[in-house]
Amino acid sequence: MDITGQRAGLYALISRIFLSEMDPDTLSAIEGMESFNTFFPDYSRWDIRNITDRKTLVERYLNVDYTDIAIMHLIPYESFYTTEEAMIETGGANPVVSVYNEYGYRVDLDRARVVSPDHIGVELEFMKILCEAQQKAEKAEDEKAAVDIKEIERGFLKDHLLRFAPMYLINVAEQARTPFYKDAAKVALEFLLEDYEYLSGR
Amino acid sequence: MFLESRRNFLKGTAATVATAVAAKGVFSVIAETPAEAAATAGFTDTPKTLQFYPPLSEWDDFKELDGEDWKRGGISRKGVQTPENPDGIRVNDYVIVPTVCSNCEAGCGLTAWVDKNSLTVKKYMGNPLHSASRGRNCAKGYGTWSQMYDPDRIPFPLKRAPGSKRGEGKWVRVTWDEAMKDIGQKLSSMLKKGDEISKKMFIYHVGRPNENGFGNRIPHTLGVDGYDSHTNICSAGARQGSIQWANDDRNSPDWANAKLIFLQSSHAADAGHYFQQSAGLIADARKRGAKMVVIDPRLSNSAGMADLWIPAWPGTEAALYLYLANRILNEKGKNGEDLIDHEFVKNWINWKKLMKDKEYLKLMLDRKYISKMPSDESYESFIEMLRELYAPYNLDFVVRECRLEGQEYKLEKLFEMVVDAEDKIATYMWRAGTIGHRGGWMNTRSAFLVLALRGALRGDVGGTSWHHWHKASVNGKWFDAVESDGKKPPKVEVWNEYPWPPEYPLATYELSFLLPHLLMDEEWKEKWRKRGFKIPDKLAVWVPRMYNPVWINPDGFRWIECLKREDLMELTFNLSPTWSETNWYCDYVLPTGLAGERHDQQSEPSKPEKWVAFRQPALRVALEKMGWKPKDPTRATLEAHMKAGLGEIWEEVEFWANLIVKYVDPDGSLGIKKYWASKEDPSRPVTIPEFYQAAFSLLPNLKRAAEAAYPNSKYPCYEFMRDRGAFTEETNIYKPQEEEVEFDGEYYRVHGHRYHKSEVIKDDEGVLWVESKGHRKSIGVEIDGKVYQGFHTPDKRLDFFVDWLKEYQWAEYAIPIYPRNENERKEMIHLVTHVHHDYMRADNEFALNTIYRLPYMIHTRSVNSKHLMEISVNHNPVWIHTSDAKRLGLKRGDKIKVRIVDTVSGLESGYFIAMAVPTEATRPGVLACSHHAGRWKLKNAVEIPGFEHKLGVMGVGAPLYEMSMDGKVAKMRAKEGIKEGVLKREESWQFKNINKDLDNIWWDGLTGAWQNAVAPVHPDPIAGNHAWHQKVIIEKAGAEDRLGDVYVNYENNFKTYQAWRDKLTRPLNEKIKYRRPMHMPRPAVPLSEKAYLNPMYKSDHEEA
Repeated sequence: MDITGQRAGLYALISRIFLSEMDPDTLSAIEGMESFNTFFPDYSRWDIRNITDRKTLVERYLNVDYTDIAIMHLIPYESFYTTEEAMIETGGANPVVSVYNEYGYRVDLDRARVVSPDHIGVELEFMKILCEAQQKAEKAEDEKAAVDIKEIERGFLKDHLLRFAPMYLINVAEQARTPFYKDAAKVALEFLLEDYEYLSGR
Repeated sequence: MFLESRRNFLKGTAATVATAVAAKGVFSVIAETPAEAAATAGFTDTPKTLQFYPPLSEWDDFKELDGEDWKRGGISRKGVQTPENPDGIRVNDYVIVPTVCSNCEAGCGLTAWVDKNSLTVKKYMGNPLHSASRGRNCAKGYGTWSQMYDPDRIPFPLKRAPGSKRGEGKWVRVTWDEAMKDIGQKLSSMLKKGDEISKKMFIYHVGRPNENGFGNRIPHTLGVDGYDSHTNICSAGARQGSIQWANDDRNSPDWANAKLIFLQSSHAADAGHYFQQSAGLIADARKRGAKMVVIDPRLSNSAGMADLWIPAWPGTEAALYLYLANRILNEKGKNGEDLIDHEFVKNWINWKKLMKDKEYLKLMLDRKYISKMPSDESYESFIEMLRELYAPYNLDFVVRECRLEGQEYKLEKLFEMVVDAEDKIATYMWRAGTIGHRGGWMNTRSAFLVLALRGALRGDVGGTSWHHWHKASVNGKWFDAVESDGKKPPKVEVWNEYPWPPEYPLATYELSFLLPHLLMDEEWKEKWRKRGFKIPDKLAVWVPRMYNPVWINPDGFRWIECLKREDLMELTFNLSPTWSETNWYCDYVLPTGLAGERHDQQSEPSKPEKWVAFRQPALRVALEKMGWKPKDPTRATLEAHMKAGLGEIWEEVEFWANLIVKYVDPDGSLGIKKYWASKEDPSRPVTIPEFYQAAFSLLPNLKRAAEAAYPNSKYPCYEFMRDRGAFTEETNIYKPQEEEVEFDGEYYRVHGHRYHKSEVIKDDEGVLWVESKGHRKSIGVEIDGKVYQGFHTPDKRLDFFVDWLKEYQWAEYAIPIYPRNENERKEMIHLVTHVHHDYMRADNEFALNTIYRLPYMIHTRSVNSKHLMEISVNHNPVWIHTSDAKRLGLKRGDKIKVRIVDTVSGLESGYFIAMAVPTEATRPGVLACSHHAGRWKLKNAVEIPGFEHKLGVMGVGAPLYEMSMDGKVAKMRAKEGIKEGVLKREESWQFKNINKDLDNIWWDGLTGAWQNAVAPVHPDPIAGNHAWHQKVIIEKAGAEDRLGDVYVNYENNFKTYQAWRDKLTRPLNEKIKYRRPMHMPRPAVPLSEKAYLNPMYKSDHEEA
């Protein structure tokens, strides 16, 4: 089993969910996943979902909820949780910019539609990129490179995502009004914790 | 719980996750690093340190990344725009030009950020070198930008179309020279007559001047008595009280160091006079623990934040202050000590004069102010007498008079605050109570008594002083730069009865709001002509300057009626940056500059120092710094504005100099040219650098600093202020009356004069007098062996007892006093507000509070600022207390008819239709509706023959109305909202880039009814100010009534004007020698003694 490929897929999934509003096509893809019922147990049984078409569901329920948990009331940015003054750092002093720069990546904030590169969705996508790099190293049988990349992944989780994502995701799980985001938050949190254990060799 | 429910993602079934969902893909690989290019351009993504403002050394050439363009992605992604990197973030290349805000009177510093490439001002910020505004501004300051690039800016001089009538709205384009030629001829022929009558036929009518002394010089250099300020509709009630106490125009607090901020109304803290500067200083004081009390029937923003809000019945505040005086006089402190500051009162209050005046003491006895004559003339007997005099102003009295039932505990708290603050009580007595009411000036008189008794009027740290010590005025002092070589024009020999009718000898300022009434009152003219006064039939020239009396003065239809009469006002022109209701009825509209488009010197008493600031045309200064030179240096401002595409916008200094030198007195035969022609080259008008070099060099510290900074300059003082915009001439000015007069054993030196001791006579109150031009003049006061400069009064002390009121027939009000019961209120009607609760009989009768300022609006000037309109727009509702609303069955949003009724004439003026909003933020019995809103226009745009575009009229600030008037009754009704009017216009042709958001205008409704049109004039019989508040009767509006409707019986209003004038005043008579006490000269134009002589006066000798 290609664990690294699965990990990259999971990071892609949760990154997408928290980075922008849902759309009917993506939702259809999620609902079509084999593990949909496992990942989204409450959402899959949600009565409203069963009587509403996807477009309406997205527009009337999911996106309203997303606005609430990701734009208006909860703050999905690392620096908000980690700076003393609880301000989002939008400039060059943002804690993840130097990490991205170090590996030659730049965040297209316009495309991401976020105010700074330490948004949870962006950081999750960065993890996906690292996993894909690891996957390539494994395919090339470059064991040392694969181990080095795993170490980078572990470091990034420890120094960045795990410093704030659990707080944010717990809040989402508590405050979201739709089972979709409640389920997604639980999935994301559990996966992050488990992946960290995995990377730590436990 | 999360851990308990863990699913095994990586090894279990869940690991079969589909990779169907792709990430969004927000990362790209870094190919090049624009950040490196950014670094080389001197910009960093995040600055290492933040600067409040750029250092002065960089103002002529300051580069800044464009904030708007930054939104495309910042320099870490886009880099900085260069020829090699055209997609980078734009860099603005600025000249930063300091100037001064001109929206309110505070004179806060501004800087105009002029973009060298586009020659536009990109933004207005504060000026960090201005020591009172400290680099900060209120919304109105930043609003300057949207006023500058107003889509409806008047782009060139307009003249009423030949053959059309005033008010028809037909205009043609003229050049400045064509206008000046016409105006010059008219003025010249008027002045050539040279007789007394012709010297009363010009009036320069100034709105808020925002400069110090230039305006006065227009009539002065012309040799005419023709200046009308707007002050008597603004603040003259407060000033009267200050003049009586200190012969000073207004007081000046040290907010920052006070222990008690004592506010009557919200002025100073949230909307009014010097607001932005005062509010900052008040905040500083409160941070250090100062308390704040607000006495105001309305819960203003200040009142909401105050430690104590006392909603006294409007106009009764004097009763409250005399209650405090009573307690200070009659109670003891915690340790049994007197609460009176005896040292201050004994030395600095003019009690000796009162105690010697047995005749006056007898009057006090006869009027039962006191029950017995004082036993002797000692200070102790004076205090004893005061204790009795003010004893009746007790708690019961004040609660009844101010209608504070149930709020007794607040009065106790107020008294504690006054006592705890010792002499650190700062106040600014201004507007509201003092200008809202008949007798409002007594508010100031009695409030200052409280401060005097506590020693707070000493003007020490944290206390209250007087304005002329905290202000430096040089804008009218340019004569060193002109052909007259330092000589000022002589005093004017005539007294104009239009600004100053014989009924109002003691008026604080001109009765300018009565101008149309007086011009149209043939009976009045005839009455005084028979008594020897020479009153012209009409005016030859009437010049409003940034002023809109039609809209902002009471009885607006009377103004329209008068302005339409070409036989009463032969030529009229408004020097006005914006369209206004008044412009509509003028012969010329001459577009002059706003805050960043004109030269003025301004200084205001907003803290205990003397700061001066310099208003400048930013585009002109920037162009000159970039190397541009005007063709004619005497018109550089006009040329610069045309070059930069602002329009044919001029400024007054250059305009008047050109008008007079080239068109009024070109050959100098009228003797006027020499005051405006350059000393360097008398064939041309004075230039700005010459003018301001002369003016600013009169300030010694400024001169010293300027000469050090510009050692090789011909005009160092001008250049110094051009580059800085502000300078602080003197700081920490405390207790200035205690400055000692220099005496070398032979000579006394005072204000640049030298007096030999043999010339100086000391009276038994210690006042030092000299003879000057046939009059006695005091030069100082001796206290405990030392000679001090003293206050500005003739007796050099603060005048508790104002003896000159006796001569002018108001003896009973010569001390702070207030009627104690209903009978006295009838006898002493002059001190009783015309909206007193005595006059409110029926359930639906109210006092209407009209004159609170809105923090984002400024009468005339801000109407077409998009920015200010957007943040301020509302329906300016009528606030009504919830209990009153419930009683009358009114709900939020109900339309009500507000009928205005006069309590002197008993006549009804008409009504306006407004929206009721029940609230607990006004006191029961008192409605509130600001008169600062409710603009109107009669056309959306005007067509100018031969000009390709239509000129929009107040597009973003005034709805379209229809109007009818027949000489007696007038009606108005709105027919189209703002949004509709703006959308109807195809597009804005002026300043297109800046106004491309006009389709975003969302405010489409009215901004309140034009209540000023309904309001009759209420001239205070003593202070002469218009008493703004109204008695109103309200009822639910009918189905046919619409919000904003106005109905006025202005024939009734004319009778009300006559009633206030004839029933309440005590006009000049044969026994009074001067038209006004000589020691309190007429403001503005200096008049000779001959002008002051009362033509009716008969001396005893003549009678014999």
